[in-house]
Amino acid sequence: MAETKEKSLSDEKPKPRVRPIVRLGIFLISHSFLVSVVCCTAGVLALFLLPVLAKNTYISENALMPGSASPMLSNQHVSDGNRLVKDLTNPNSKSSETGIESHKIIAQYMLDLGAEVSFHKFHPQMNQFHPLHFFSSPVSGKIQENYSCSSYGINTVGIIRAPRGDGKEAIVLVTPYNALKSGFGEALSLGIAYSVFSLLTQVTWLAKDIIWLVADSQYGEYAAVAAWLREYQTPKFSSLSTPNAEMCPDVNNLFELKGHSISGSKFSNSFRRAGTMAAALVLKVRDQNEQFEDTISIYAEASNGQMPNLDLINVVNYLAVHRQGLRVNVEKLWPLLNSSWLKSLGEIFESLAKVAKSLYPKWKFGIPATEYVEGTATLASSLYYQALGVPTGPHGAFRDYQVDAITLEISPKFSLDKVWRNDILLRGGRLIEGVIRSVNNLLEKFHQSFFLYLLTSPSKFVSVGVYMIAFALLIASLPMVAASLYVDANSSSNCSKGDSSTPSAITDTDEHSIAIRSWRWLNSAKLVFIVHLWGAIVSLLPYFISQIPDCSPTTSFMIWVLLSILSLLTLNSVLASPLACAKATQEKEWALVKSVTISLVFIGLGLMSVINFATAEIGALLMVPMCLLARPLKLDVRAGTLRSFCRLICNLVLGHIAFPPAAFFLLKGMLDGFGNANVGDFWMWVESLWAWNSATYLFIGMVQLPCWVLCVSILFHTC
Amino acid sequence: METFINPKSLFHLLLLPCLLLYSSIAYNSSPVEAAMHTNNWAVLVCTSRFWFNYRHMANTLSLYRTVKRLGIPDERIILMLADDMACNTRNKYPAQVFNNENHRLNLYGDNVEVDYRGYEVTVENFLRVLTGRHETAVPRSKRLLSDEGSHILLYMTGHGGDEFLKFQDSEELQSHDLADAVKQMKEKHRFKELLIMVDTCQAATLFNQFQSPGVLAIGSSMKGENSYSHHLDSDVGVSVVDRFTYYTLAFFERLNIYDNASLSSLFSSYNPSLLMSTAYYRKDLYKRRLEEVPVTNFFGSVMETIHTDAAYKALSRRNSGRFEDEMSLDQSVHHIERRMLIKVNDGDEIHDINPEGEEGACKCPWSTFRNTFQKAENVDSLVNYGLVAMIPLLVISTWLVQ
Repeated sequence: MAETKEKSLSDEKPKPRVRPIVRLGIFLISHSFLVSVVCCTAGVLALFLLPVLAKNTYISENALMPGSASPMLSNQHVSDGNRLVKDLTNPNSKSSETGIESHKIIAQYMLDLGAEVSFHKFHPQMNQFHPLHFFSSPVSGKIQENYSCSSYGINTVGIIRAPRGDGKEAIVLVTPYNALKSGFGEALSLGIAYSVFSLLTQVTWLAKDIIWLVADSQYGEYAAVAAWLREYQTPKFSSLSTPNAEMCPDVNNLFELKGHSISGSKFSNSFRRAGTMAAALVLKVRDQNEQFEDTISIYAEASNGQMPNLDLINVVNYLAVHRQGLRVNVEKLWPLLNSSWLKSLGEIFESLAKVAKSLYPKWKFGIPATEYVEGTATLASSLYYQALGVPTGPHGAFRDYQVDAITLEISPKFSLDKVWRNDILLRGGRLIEGVIRSVNNLLEKFHQSFFLYLLTSPSKFVSVGVYMIAFALLIASLPMVAASLYVDANSSSNCSKGDSSTPSAITDTDEHSIAIRSWRWLNSAKLVFIVHLWGAIVSLLPYFISQIPDCSPTTSFMIWVLLSILSLLTLNSVLASPLACAKATQEKEWALVKSVTISLVFIGLGLMSVINFATAEIGALLMVPMCLLARPLKLDVRAGTLRSFCRLICNLVLGHIAFPPAAFFLLKGMLDGFGNANVGDFWMWVESLWAWNSATYLFIGMVQLPCWVLCVSILFHTC
Repeated sequence: METFINPKSLFHLLLLPCLLLYSSIAYNSSPVEAAMHTNNWAVLVCTSRFWFNYRHMANTLSLYRTVKRLGIPDERIILMLADDMACNTRNKYPAQVFNNENHRLNLYGDNVEVDYRGYEVTVENFLRVLTGRHETAVPRSKRLLSDEGSHILLYMTGHGGDEFLKFQDSEELQSHDLADAVKQMKEKHRFKELLIMVDTCQAATLFNQFQSPGVLAIGSSMKGENSYSHHLDSDVGVSVVDRFTYYTLAFFERLNIYDNASLSSLFSSYNPSLLMSTAYYRKDLYKRRLEEVPVTNFFGSVMETIHTDAAYKALSRRNSGRFEDEMSLDQSVHHIERRMLIKVNDGDEIHDINPEGEEGACKCPWSTFRNTFQKAENVDSLVNYGLVAMIPLLVISTWLVQ
């Protein structure tokens, strides 16, 4: 390949002046093999270097000033919170079937503090696949026809108005609460929120309103928060929506009762609003815990890998660690922690850093091997959850409205004595108070710090400028290889026809055939287009399959696979039949197909990296080696050398791994063990992806699957 | 009349002012610089807004309180505050501003007159205040009505950098702008001496462009250094005072209105290890020795009692004090005299009483000459004779012209 390139270079030599950029391009294309190997290796290596390159987080926004004010939450407030916990866990309050009693208790407590209280009744919206709703804003005025009075949830909302504030902004505190089967943890989270709330009704320093949302989580935490947010952000002015609330007698009863029992209070039947939301905190307390110390886990990933501003995480982390002495956790991929190869890689990096430091003392980039392993596990989980595109908690609903939100899950070391309970109420409450006071100081939206980052520990991050390098290196070789293949395919056919390498032979061939030859890539492009069209059809199929009633995941998956194969065969026979006869005449057809495939993969990955970087990165890791190595198996078998044999093995392995379901099961097996893998799982997974409008679904359907099919077709190409 | 002018009469006309000048010089050694220190002004500027810059407002208000305590009246203080921390919703103590976590002193108590507040504090308005180029509608209370006998204290605090100071987080005052404004002030005789005190990061760079004589500048930090806050009030939740200002205030808290601690003692009181920056002062434009200048020359007000021999003699003596200003414009002696009687100018008396303050520095022969005249105690009569002698001259010159 390289030889022919040099030849073409020598052909061009007589030309006196070639612009340097063109010369550089020609050079890179002619050495595309070497370039692609170097780039891919560097890309993978750079990915593994990311934990080493991670920087310490810092509070970027001046106005936040976390921890500069001493906490005001006292034991008085804690005992208030304790009172609520007792009342909620009291068996009498659970007598009612709908759990309305506990909502009444909470509302009563809020009213006693002087807050504005209202109930928000909602019907849980089942997530459904809408083929055209990707990336669109959450559905606003859609009223479901088939709701019933039996299935509705009640959110209790309390609002404190800032005494001297302008009422333009608000901070939201969310505590998911299932009145029907609430654990002690949920009651405790309500207790913490209540103690903070009772403090905030007394303070003079509020600049933003405080909204406390007790989200009814019997239909899922996310659904309740999303329903409330939908109502909050998109007010309905039509009279159509109001009858919903009055139709169910039970709810009416609830409202009536409230209205009577507290005359002249701040209770209101209508939906209450405060200003635009500056930030939202979702507070949870875990029931079971085996930790040795009080820990707090931060969940930040929202839909499509969107993250809240890093400053919010920084504030929580700073206050938790330096003020309340809590340990902060972010998600890790636990299986990676014990992997020995990662540990040895960390040791290599550590020793390399030592060598570098001995050479030049100012180079300090090494981190200990154990830290490296932990950082990699956290980074991998950060990548994984971002790539999945599914929010990791109710905070995801806020991100859809550009509100920065995180979920804090406190896992206390469990014991049931009162001292311990007071302690966790005090520390958790002070943490929440500190965060609220810090956000209260904000003058603008969160904007100073990063939105695009990967965490390697609660206090370390990799910013977009660094992690993009790994991705860019990985895909940089694709256009060069594509160009090289294209030139190669054209020139080799020239050579075979012209039978000589002299320029005169090329000039001899008539212009007509040159024109035809130079447009030959259109054939390959047609094939690639057909396969991508098929990919789009495959992505749409689940919508129709999901309409079939009473279908188990396994059968759905089977139907999907069958339909996909059927549609591919149909498309191929209908549209690609002329291709078959043309194929016979051209030897290097597969090279052109590969070239076009690679170009499209490059475009697809580039686009995806803008939408969801993590998906693009993982996709690139799978697809780039497969695309670059793809070569008809027959050729390798015919060659019979060791090199071609290695390539053959690699091709076969990659061809299996890069198939989306195979990749899914492999990943699942690594994380959970292969024992309980089920074919239906993939269907479930895909269903969750489209239910959450994850762009990853589109990526798999319209980029990865067609690419895989094309590569497999190249592998089995008859030439 | 112009057609008959000849060189000779012109010569005589020129001679007249010279003579008048001569007689006035007997009292004032040099025309401009000899204007006496007659009044004190203070311009106190806080340039940054937002809640987390609470300390800058506290700095300025502390200085305001100090200069008021040391005797500068409110009508001679221009106070510019870029934001209103006292009424900020985040303030735990509404309508109160503290500069110490002990909360003993509310800086925003009674009698705080803020002349420029909020968005009025702009570079434009600041330069207008300094140079006196106001819109006609601006009230007197918002103007710096200083004259050539004024000592002005200009205190600024905010966020700055290399040769600039940020105003309102949106615009900046550059060292060139400040130097130009000071130069204009000098040309318009708006001050006698000017002390510029700046508490900001890299404050020293702000003074690089000054050229006008009589300017003394002190900044909280050198180029490349940051100025830091002194301490955090965990109750209010913000830092409440900057280090440089804190130690300046600590120095002044020991003083009362009658103390005459010198400027050099103030400047040497700054301890770089406490400030965490190096206080820098530029005195090459300033003629007097810092050891001999009491801080109250800038931070206090003129307090000297004016001794007069007789109720009316003092008035007549003032006439000559103003001559050099008016005579080139107005040739009529009687007219001058009438105006002088109305004008209040008590510069000479101060000079007499306070010889060591001003005259110690200037060693020109005129002062000795003047001293002998003053000791002879027939100054008044000399002036009267001089005026009488001028009348024939006037007559002769008019005659020559015709």
